[in-house]
Parts: sequence; C-alpha cells; structure tokens
Amino acid sequence: MKRKAFSILVLGALALSGSVSAQSSKINFVEYDLPNGLHVILHEDHSTPIVAVSVMYHVGSKNEDPQRTGFAHFFEHLLFEGSENIGRGEYMKMIQAAGGQLNANTTQDRTYYYEVLPSNQLELALWMESERMLHAKIDTIGVETQRKVVKEEKKQRYDNTPYGQLLSVVYENEFTKHPYRWTPIGKEQYIDQAKLSEFMDFYKTFYVPNNAVLVVGGDINIGETKAFIQKYYGDIPKGTRAIPRPTEVEPEQTEEKRVNFYDNVQLPAVILAYHTPKLGTADNYTLQLLTQLLSQGKSSRFQKAIVDEQQKALAVGAFAIPNEDPGVAMMFGIANAGVKPEELEKAMEAEVDKVIENYVSDEEYQKLRNQAENDFVTQNQRVAGVVQNLATYYTFLGNADLINTELELYKKITKEDLKRVAAKYFNKNNRLVVYYLPKSMENK
Amino acid sequence: MKKTTLSILFCAAALSAGAQSLDRSQRPKPGPAPEIKLGKTESFSLPNGLKVFVVENHKLPTLAVSIQLDIRPELEGEMAGYREMMSELLLSGTKNRSKDELNKEIDFIGANINTSDDGMSGSSLKKHGEKLFELMADIAMNSDFKQEELDKIKTRTLSGLEASENEPDAMLNNVSAVVNFGKQHPYGEVANKETVQKITLDRVKKYYSSYFRPNVAYMAVVGDVTVAEVKPLLEKYFGRWAKAMVPVAKYSDPKAPSTRRVVFVPREAAVQSVINVTYPVDLKPGAPDAIKARVANSILGGGSNGRLFLNLREKHGWTYGSYSSLSQDDLKGTFTAYAKGRNVVTDSSVQEILAEMNTLRTKPVGKEELQNHIVNMSGAFAIALENPGTVAQYAINIERYKMPKDYYQNYLKNLAAVTAQDVQSVAQKYIHPDQANVVVVGSKDDVAKTLTRFASNGKLEYFDPYGREIKPAAPAAAAPANLTGADVVKKYVAAIGGEKVINSIKDIKTVSKGSVQGMELTVTETKKAPNKLKFVMEGMGMVLQKKVFDGNKGYEEAQGQKAELEGDDLEEAREDADIYADLHPEKYGKTYNLKGIEKLDGNDVYAVEETSKKGKATNYYDVKSGLLLKTVQSTENGSVIQEYADYKEVPGTNGYKIPYSMKVTAGPVVTISVQSVEVNKGIDDSEFQ
Repeated sequence: MKRKAFSILVLGALALSGSVSAQSSKINFVEYDLPNGLHVILHEDHSTPIVAVSVMYHVGSKNEDPQRTGFAHFFEHLLFEGSENIGRGEYMKMIQAAGGQLNANTTQDRTYYYEVLPSNQLELALWMESERMLHAKIDTIGVETQRKVVKEEKKQRYDNTPYGQLLSVVYENEFTKHPYRWTPIGKEQYIDQAKLSEFMDFYKTFYVPNNAVLVVGGDINIGETKAFIQKYYGDIPKGTRAIPRPTEVEPEQTEEKRVNFYDNVQLPAVILAYHTPKLGTADNYTLQLLTQLLSQGKSSRFQKAIVDEQQKALAVGAFAIPNEDPGVAMMFGIANAGVKPEELEKAMEAEVDKVIENYVSDEEYQKLRNQAENDFVTQNQRVAGVVQNLATYYTFLGNADLINTELELYKKITKEDLKRVAAKYFNKNNRLVVYYLPKSMENK
Repeated sequence: MKKTTLSILFCAAALSAGAQSLDRSQRPKPGPAPEIKLGKTESFSLPNGLKVFVVENHKLPTLAVSIQLDIRPELEGEMAGYREMMSELLLSGTKNRSKDELNKEIDFIGANINTSDDGMSGSSLKKHGEKLFELMADIAMNSDFKQEELDKIKTRTLSGLEASENEPDAMLNNVSAVVNFGKQHPYGEVANKETVQKITLDRVKKYYSSYFRPNVAYMAVVGDVTVAEVKPLLEKYFGRWAKAMVPVAKYSDPKAPSTRRVVFVPREAAVQSVINVTYPVDLKPGAPDAIKARVANSILGGGSNGRLFLNLREKHGWTYGSYSSLSQDDLKGTFTAYAKGRNVVTDSSVQEILAEMNTLRTKPVGKEELQNHIVNMSGAFAIALENPGTVAQYAINIERYKMPKDYYQNYLKNLAAVTAQDVQSVAQKYIHPDQANVVVVGSKDDVAKTLTRFASNGKLEYFDPYGREIKPAAPAAAAPANLTGADVVKKYVAAIGGEKVINSIKDIKTVSKGSVQGMELTVTETKKAPNKLKFVMEGMGMVLQKKVFDGNKGYEEAQGQKAELEGDDLEEAREDADIYADLHPEKYGKTYNLKGIEKLDGNDVYAVEETSKKGKATNYYDVKSGLLLKTVQSTENGSVIQEYADYKEVPGTNGYKIPYSMKVTAGPVVTISVQSVEVNKGIDDSEFQ
C-alpha cells in the first residue's frame, strides 16, 4: 500500500517535470503579401470561438515633424471618427454591438489598431479595418473633436498623473538629435497647430498597405480568411510616395548629464537612463536580462537591497524600452519619505556597479534564464497577445517566427556577456540622471 | 492541362468579380453564432477537506493555481487594516524558509505568487509546477510572522494613509463603505492611523491560524496538466495541511436607507467633486434575476455605451467618465453610480444620475439599445472564456454559492431571452434613486450648499475622510454689519506694527530653515525698498532655486538654467519685492470681501475672500489679535494652503511682527521656521543684480 502510493508520487512528479513538449506551445502561422504590399499573417487556433484582428502601421512619433510632436497619436484618434461608409462615432458602437472590444495605441515606432470579437464577426472587423486603411473620414469636425479629447487625455494621463512626465523628461534630455527626443503624446501647442491638410498628407504617406501588417488570429479558417482579405484589401491602392524614415543618428554621449524636474508628486524619484543599442542586437537582449536581474521579483538586486533591506525606496524598477532605433535602458526609484535623492542614487549606483564588477552567481544566472523562459512562453497566453507579438516581430525584426525562436537568443547569453554589456553601457558618460522632485522643493 | 486552365480562369473570374462587385457600403453580416463551449472541470477533495477543481488546457506548457477561502472572519474592530497587512506578511517567510529564501525560490523558477487575506494565486511553467505547489503549500500552512516585518509594513501603511488622506477617490470609497454597511459589517470597516497603530502580531497570527484551513478552501488548478498528474502532488504537498474548526462570524444586515441621505465629505480647496449614489442590495450570485440585473446595469452605466456615460460625458461634457455597478455578493451586494466633475456641475451631475436611474424604472428600454447590450455582454462572456481560469472559477462559484448547476451553461440562452419588461422590473426592484446615499467629496464652500435639495430631510450629513461623522464647520456667523474686508486687512496691518512701523523698514533679510519630506532647506529672502528682491533656496548642498528682481527686471534660476522674468512672473516678483504691499493692496488689483466669522482650531476668525488677477483666495484673520493665520488658494493644479504661527516682533523695529513659523501644503507639506531677521542694514543694490 505504502509502496504504491510512493510510486504514484514519483510518476506524478516525472509526468510534470518531463513532459514539456515544445510542440504544444509552437505558434503556427502563415504569411504572405498582397500585390499592393500589405503583409498578412494568419494564426489559426480554435480553442476559444473568438478572433483578434489587428493592423500595425509602421509609423510613430519618430516620423513626426519636430514642429508637430504628438501628431501620430492625434492621427490615431482621428481614425476612430469613421470612414466613407462608417458614420461618425459608429466605430466603437459597431464593434461593441457585435460583442467585441477594440482599442489602439501609438508608440515612437508604430501605431497599432486591434479588435477582439466572437469569431462569427470576423468579416465585420476586416471590413472596418479596410475602411480605415482605404478612406477614413478626415475632416474639420473630426480634427476639432479629437483635438479636445487628446488634450484631455494628456491632462489626465500625463500632466495630472504622479510621475506621468517621466518618460518625456528622460527622452527629451537623453536625445539631442534623434526624434526620440520627444514622446508620442507631444506638446500641447503642436496639438493646437495641427492642420487638416497635414493630416491628409500624413494619411497618404504612411497609412498605405505597403507600410502595414494585417494579423488575424483565433478561431478562423485560413482559406475563408484569405478570401475575405482579398475582398476587402485587394483593391486598396499601393502607396505612391516614398515612406520617410528618420536618418538622424544620435551622437555618442561623452559625459554624464544631470537634470532636476519638478512636478506634482509627493516623493522624489531618481532615474538613471543609459543609451542602448537597437532592438534585435545581441547586446539589446543582454540588456533585457540585466534589467531583469536588477528589478524582476523580490529577490532582484534593487528590490532586495534598496526596498527591503535599506528601505530607501518605496518602489524601484529597471527596464529597457524596445525601441526600433538605439534607445534607452532606464532604472528608477521612488524615495521613501525622509530619504534624499542623493542617497537613493548612491544605493542604485552601488547595485549597478556590482553587476559591472562581479559575475552573477550560477544560481542567479539560471534564475534569469528561467524568468526569461517564463515570460517568453506566457506572452502568448491570449490570442490578442499572439497577434500583437507576430505584428511586432515582423515590423521591427522582419521575422515573425521569432515568436517561436527568440528564446534561443536569450539562451546564448553568457555570464561573461552580462558583465561585459553592463560595463559597456552602464557607465557614467553614457547616462542621464534625472531627479524628479516635488514642486514644493522648487517654490518657497 | 485542362484542369490548370480551368482553375486559372476560375481564379481570375473570382478576383475580378470580387473587385467589381464589392459594395463597401454594405456592412458584413455576422456568420452563424459559434458554439460557446465551457471547458470541462474535474474535481476531487483531499481527506483534509480541500476541494480541488482542475481545468485542462494544453495550449501552453503553463500552470496556474489559486486558493480561495470561503470564510466569514470576525470583524477587525479597533485593529481595522490588519487583514491586509497579513496578506503582505504571507510573503515574508515560513517556518522552513526565511524571507530571502522564499523570494529567491519563487523567482528562481520564474514564478509569480500573490497573496490576499482570503487566499493566494500562483503561476509558473509546467516544468516547475511541483516547486510551485511546494512553495504555495508552505505559505498556506507554515507562514511565520515576525514583529520586525510587521513594523516595516506598518510604517509603509501609515505613510500610504497620509498620502491618500486628501485623495478624493480614496475618501469617497471609505465614506461610501461606512454609510452603506456600518461598522458591524466587514465591508464597512475602514483602516485609519489609529487602528493601524493598534495592530498586534498576535492578532495577525491568530487570524492566520484560524482561517487558513483546508476544510474552507477551494483550489483551482488550470493549465497543461491532468488530474492524474496533479492529484498525487497535491496529496504530497497539501495533504498535511491540518483541518480545524473554523469560526463563522455573524454580521449585521445592512439595509438601504428608507429615504435619500446626502453625505458630504469636505475637501479643502477642491476644484472637482467625486460623487457616489450608492446603497446595499440583496443580490446573490446566481439569483434568478441576476442576469437581468446585469443587463439593467449595463444599460444604465456599464461602460462607454451606458446611459450615464452618454449623458454626462457625451451630451454634457461634465466628466471624463460616469459609470454604475450592481454587484452580486453572497454577503451583501452594492449598487453604485459614480461621476467626477468640476464644482459647478456637481449638483447637475447628481441630478442627471438620479434622473437616469429613474428613467430606467419608468420607461421600457428600446429594442435596439437592449439588443446591443445583450450582444455586447455575450461577446464579453465568450472572450472571458479564453482564460482557462474563468472556467475553473465558474465551477467554484457554483459550488460555493450553491448556484444552479447549469447557470453558466445556460448563461447565453438566458441572457438572450431578457426582455424590456424584465429590465424594467429588475430596475424597479434594485434601482432606487429615492432610497440612496448620495456621497459627495468636494468643496464645502462651493458645492455643499447646492446639494441640500437632494436630501429627503433637507440636511447634509458631514463625514471625515475615514467615514467618521463630524460636526459641520459652523456656518460663517455674520460679521458686524459695518465691517468690511478692507477693514479686516487694516486691522491686520495694525496688528503687525502699523503703517508707520512698516514704512520705517527700508530693507530686510530673513533666513529660514525648512524641511520637505526629510530634506532640509535653507531659504534666504532679501528685500529692499521700494521694490528689490532676492530669493535663494538651497538644499542638498546646492542652490535649488534663485529669483532676483531689481525693481524693473529680473531672472529666475533653477538647476543652472536661467530665465528672464516675464509677464505674470514679473508682476508677481514686483509684488513680492514690495515690503509695503499690505499697505496698498489696490496697487496689485486686490479687492476683499468679508464672508463672515468662522472657527479655526477653536478660535474665531474672519474669513476674507481676496480677489486678484491670480484668482481667488480665502484669508483667515484672528478676530482677537487681527493676525493672518491661514490662506487657501485654489489653482488649476490644485490648492495651496499656507498657515502662519508664532508671530514675534523683529528686533530693532519698534514692533514689526512676522510669523516665525509657516506651513505650506501643496501636495507635500513644507514647514519653515525663521532663524534670523535683519532690518535696515543698508543692503547694497548690487545684491539684486
């Protein structure tokens, strides 16, 4: 009796640890181009009767005129106003009345639109996205309405949110030439100045099939979906203009920069921001692991030393923003009441120095690999996530199959790489230090 | 050969047909509705009573585990807040693992574990599943609480409370909880600084050992596993979790008010109000009219297609968002309608919320509107099923709340069958605009008086941010009829020394020390008649800010960046530089209006409204001494409150008095105390370059 119980236990344990089948987690997809240049990726998965439809346009705030920052995001709002065949304000209503959800967002590098619906509404979503690409309604009423909404959004999400200007402050000071020197929300004065003709121009330049990828995933039939796509996207003309990409190269930084910024916050925050190489490079992957080492989980360096043991910070974080062009790795801490920003900065710097000076232990190294694997697998839990990841890998790295293989690139990173890359990028001359301080420290 | 030609022809035909005949104005029709299948749940119990629900989902090699305790714990009483602290303490170590070891082991396998006061959840890759079970079991049965860790969390909680004390939504939630449920119900218990201070380690330990027991626990295991795999592991790790008698507390049975109450929570210098129309309801999960009630709430205020949103935001532009909720709860549900908006639209917003509630009761909903909401909710149901945890939760709900076994199987069918009559009748049952608590957090001066008309008895009840009833600040008593605002200011001028003494001051240098959030500041202010100014603030060993004005022009310097003073800033410097500014307020366009006599810390004060180009401020002058004690200025970015105390004569001035201590609240609090004052030392003009 006893022995039997024991063997079941062993079997159970074996079953759990031994049966990781790489096959079951592979994301299958097909991809092709339409003659007008639209890239299409289809992922079939019948586990839930829903579909996700998305379009990623390869345009973001880095494509903006410096005198029109915020334009790409403003434009994203405009594209909810309707089309030749969709009435004003109907976009949201139609999707909701079809049982779906939708949204969009704009980064420095791309603009992304998506809907998730019950699978019998696939054709509706494809039609609506094609309307958006072919003949969106761009008129004075829409521009004026969205101008107000965008300004309200800026107030709520950036101006009146504690630390809401953090990214803007970092990018504005980190970059001198490259258009990453502003962030997607832009400046209010330019939101006010944006003109209808400029929007028309932007639409014709960037919102063309040859600058987009359409990704459909979920409970679909590939053949039927291809036919729908041919029907609604086949006749959208290819863009005739050259698609401009920023050519500015950010000059190498040669000495540390320091900035104090005042805002409506309760506690000071310290940010260390370092220039990084572009997405997809080996060093960029290594930097991702390094930020994990510093701040992912309670046993991470920052969490353990600065938040728990020294109690110098209320919260800490480190992340490398996945920018298409060379970007930023950022570390931040919000000081505990009574802790001076200098003290917090020293504590953060001490942890960064340890990474530069010493190899990580075998155990910690294995932890980083395990965390990376966990994150890599779980990013595909929802079909909406799969669709977005396919679009992102394709747009920036030209290889959608990274959704299945990127983990191998993380696995190649050695302990030596971690130390070398930390030393190369986390040096003082390559960084910006921001003190994000309460306004009360500015006025009497 | 033939075949190929045919198919090419066919393709071409299909293509050209598609291109020519596409009528884009035709909105595509939906295909046949897909069959929504609920995944299968298997369940079993361990001998210690732990009930386990397993949902297999082999899409990814992952695993998610949750434990939910079905408990009715004793009230927290005077130690309100300890349950939340316990949930944090659960991750601070066990009898087998120190805090560091525990955190390290969780992170090593790339897992996440979250804890609450009535359960926990965890997730990892399947290959680390056994370790995940081991760690979660250790936390569930062997947690070891330490005084040192409790103290750390207490300190954090207290500073958190301080930060949220003036946060309108936190204030609104606290007060709504108390007025809806009262202190004899767990939903009405609110932590404040006093209750947090009183929390003891013993109480935390007792809670854990009483309620973290397998015989009251439901466990969901979902992911790339089978029952055969999971069962032996659970027996191994959770089998030793000892069952015990778990006490069941009795609570009061809160009722909605029989009339409409208006509860007002004053928030100093608020420019926006937050509003709840709220009351407790009896609506249990799976009740016969639960689905109808969900539809009714969706129509009223379920989202951006709800009537509250369409009315208050889209039609009137009063708010960024307005929503309602009608929660189903085994103990007690709650109805809440919410909005946030500027002072002047507060009463209109309350009125429209009440009107929409009423309309839902009195008028049947239109066919299309009803249909849109039903389809939207059906889609949301399907989308939620993508998460295998949803299915496990449904199985647990059915067991825990004794819901009909086929409740979720029939959900879509029953949802589709909801009629306009159904909506109206559940609205009449659950939506009560006339028997509700209207809770408003906002400006006492600008908003409170506009709300009395909503109270059935015509009276407002006042509460503090933690839901304790307070006496309304006595309404401003009428000031003597012959006294004007300008007179009060003149009395103040006399109180600080009088015109002659003030005019005798030709220059003045004040050095003060202050602190903000633990950082020390030194502020040096130098003025010279008629209008020269230099202001320097130092801290952290450097100049944080400097402002210089020579009577005509000036500059401001911060972080090494220098900017010329222009426009409003220049005007402000001109006034700041004027030692005699109080003697001729008209020069700066200031007018005063005496509003009445109020109480400030027990003393009678004149409340005087000051109007200038900068906007409105209220100044409070002590009735007895004539001294200025406080000013409150509202701006677009929030309010600035300045308090003055410790007025003392400046040596060598024949009676010129200034406040030696000052407190400024503009978000964080800055306190400043004067260290030295020098007058008429003949400061050279070069100081002001």
